[in-house]
Amino acid sequence: MDASVDSNVKAVRRSKEEKKVLRKQLKASHTLLKHEGINTTSQPTKSLVVANGGLGNGVSREHLSAALKQMGELETLVMPPHKPYAFVTYRLEESAQKAHTLLNGQKMKCGEDSVTLYLSFVNSVTCEEETSVPLPEGLVLVKDFVSQEEEALLLAAIDWSSLYDDATAQKALKHRKVKHYGYEFRYDNNNVDKDKPLPAGLPEECLPFLERCLRNGYIDIMPDQLTVNQYESGQGIPPHVDTHSAFEDTILSLSLGSQTVMEFRHPDGHLVAVVLPERSLLVMKGESRFLWTHGITPRKFDMVPASDPQCPSTTSDPIGHSNLTLSKRGTRTSFTFRKIRHEPCHCAFPSVCDSQGASSAPSPSHPSTPSLPCCHADAARLEEEYVHRVYDAIASHFSSTRHSPWPRVCHFLSSLPPGSVLADVGCGNGKYLGVNPHVVAVGCDRSSALIDICAERGFQVFVSDALSVPLRTASCDACISIAVIHHFSTQERRLAAVRELVRLLKPGGRALIYVWAFEQEYNKQKSKYLKESNKEHPGNYSLTVNTSEDRRETHGKSCPVHTNRTAFNTQDLLVPWHLKDGKKGGGREDLESEPKSSSVPVFHRYYHVFQQGELERLCGQLAGVKVQSSYHDQGNWCVILEKD
Amino acid sequence: MKLLTHNMLTSHVKGVIKGYPLLIKATEVKVNEVEFNPQFVSRMIPKLEWSALVQAAEELGQRQDLPSDLVPDYETNEEFLKKVHRVLLEVEVVEGCLQCPESGREFPISRGIPNMLLNEDEV
Repeated sequence: MDASVDSNVKAVRRSKEEKKVLRKQLKASHTLLKHEGINTTSQPTKSLVVANGGLGNGVSREHLSAALKQMGELETLVMPPHKPYAFVTYRLEESAQKAHTLLNGQKMKCGEDSVTLYLSFVNSVTCEEETSVPLPEGLVLVKDFVSQEEEALLLAAIDWSSLYDDATAQKALKHRKVKHYGYEFRYDNNNVDKDKPLPAGLPEECLPFLERCLRNGYIDIMPDQLTVNQYESGQGIPPHVDTHSAFEDTILSLSLGSQTVMEFRHPDGHLVAVVLPERSLLVMKGESRFLWTHGITPRKFDMVPASDPQCPSTTSDPIGHSNLTLSKRGTRTSFTFRKIRHEPCHCAFPSVCDSQGASSAPSPSHPSTPSLPCCHADAARLEEEYVHRVYDAIASHFSSTRHSPWPRVCHFLSSLPPGSVLADVGCGNGKYLGVNPHVVAVGCDRSSALIDICAERGFQVFVSDALSVPLRTASCDACISIAVIHHFSTQERRLAAVRELVRLLKPGGRALIYVWAFEQEYNKQKSKYLKESNKEHPGNYSLTVNTSEDRRETHGKSCPVHTNRTAFNTQDLLVPWHLKDGKKGGGREDLESEPKSSSVPVFHRYYHVFQQGELERLCGQLAGVKVQSSYHDQGNWCVILEKD
Repeated sequence: MKLLTHNMLTSHVKGVIKGYPLLIKATEVKVNEVEFNPQFVSRMIPKLEWSALVQAAEELGQRQDLPSDLVPDYETNEEFLKKVHRVLLEVEVVEGCLQCPESGREFPISRGIPNMLLNEDEV
């Protein structure tokens, strides 16, 4: 090829690349506007939104700030927690323009992964106000309480290698290593064997530390029980209150080896996250010891306040909402010193006191089933956040992945006599409404966005909740509820949903129900959901801050986040959805979207996955209806009910 | 919302006993052309609340000469079936609302879609 053609080709290639970057930038802009209400502008300003440069993408403040500072002096850098974007304001507009030109479409390495940044100008940056969150009453954090030498001595004093040492009674627990001294703490009854002190007593290496605590007035008497916990990165301990009847008021906890974040929760749902630096002492007394629960979320990274000259917040304050960065966890060893209580507890918090009648808290060593909403109002709020809002946000993408009706559902529909009245409760994108043209099909769904899609397709639909369907009793010859009831977060609500379906049926009418199965592998056949997992690394699905073992806050209770295309560990969980352009319809049916691209927002949907027999038992609780058949289909448990 | 759908819908406001049929207040109605299938219409008729259908058609000014009572032997009465077909499947409420006859609560209809969601305190 001669030189002129060659350079033309290069020019064409370059502009193709440029066009591609521009397209992606526009898409990012559009997504930001649609989902976050962020308005970008084509006019240059001092401020930019950096899509994919957020804490939610695993990008740390240090990394991003280093890249941005090269373009000019920064005024502010705002990184909202969990979000896939950040805002930067430069002192000079020309610096912002430089950043826009040079960084847009560029990859930035962040640890092992890399992200592609898309920058757009914004007119304003709204910062959440730094709300100062007070520590729980009675909680004191003392930084640098021991020196590095003392830290090394204390860590060396613990011998983890002896597994069956009578003197120290070490037990290997599933989530973290634990060793007791003085008295052994029993996890089966959450109490201490007060009549059988352990022979060895507390290690002598602890004495200087304890004497210092006495001198400083943190304690009045010497503790006689020590529990040493070692947490690897990714390990934690569920929220709990130390048993009132076992221990006196003051509890000392010394953090060694690595920083972590401990979360305190008040019974009213209030959460306070406290950074515990290495070599710091935490003193828990009063409310913080008796009333608030404390726990450590199993995580590999924590979000902590950035120690930035621009942000004046001190790290001893509880974590507010701005100027955050990521802190990688190392192995942390905590020394928790307590004094055994020999008389019943008479604290001011009888509702949580086992001496005064309250039931003892669940064992902190067993990963308890995630506690879930206990009333309809809480359940409704959980479902609003982790079901309804999500479906409305992901509707078009979701619809594009739900295009192939399942054969056995079609079989049920096709078997209905012509002229039958069919209600599809939770019809989604209307996939099943047109399968049998000889029936009168009416669909309803909680998501207006999905209902809009149905209406566009010409179906008769309305927006309503599955718990209260505005159709006349006994007006339907058949009902279907496909992949709906597993979104209800309490057993009562799931039962109520089935009850509604039964109410709609005429005598002799049939209902078909599909719910996600806990057992994704059945009869040695992996479901399609699992089969896809060969295509990518299981457990490595995204660059978000949280790992698959993460627990996410849902109204003071916790639900683990599931790793897509792996088997389920618990029945109540949050399943991620990686949002992509809805126009890209897959060639085959996906239960989940194509996983992972760091540039997309992730939504979490709540599911209660059913165990074998559970759906049948649920339906069995209702009078006037029989389970006609029950089977497993592609990762779902299914029943056909017949009304008497 | 077609009148066939309306015929099935009822008010589910808590405490309401007589929530059917819902009153229709339409601000925009359209009449589509839908392929006439006499068998289908014939099968639908026994599933309907006839008086509610007539009332609804009346409210929309689309009743024409639909009788107050079902004619006998309607299965073979093509003229009658055509009238039913029109009212049941061709008339559509695009904008307006549905009103609970007992509580007065209104449910909006927008772009042909009724929104029947109740507030927390109404459930």
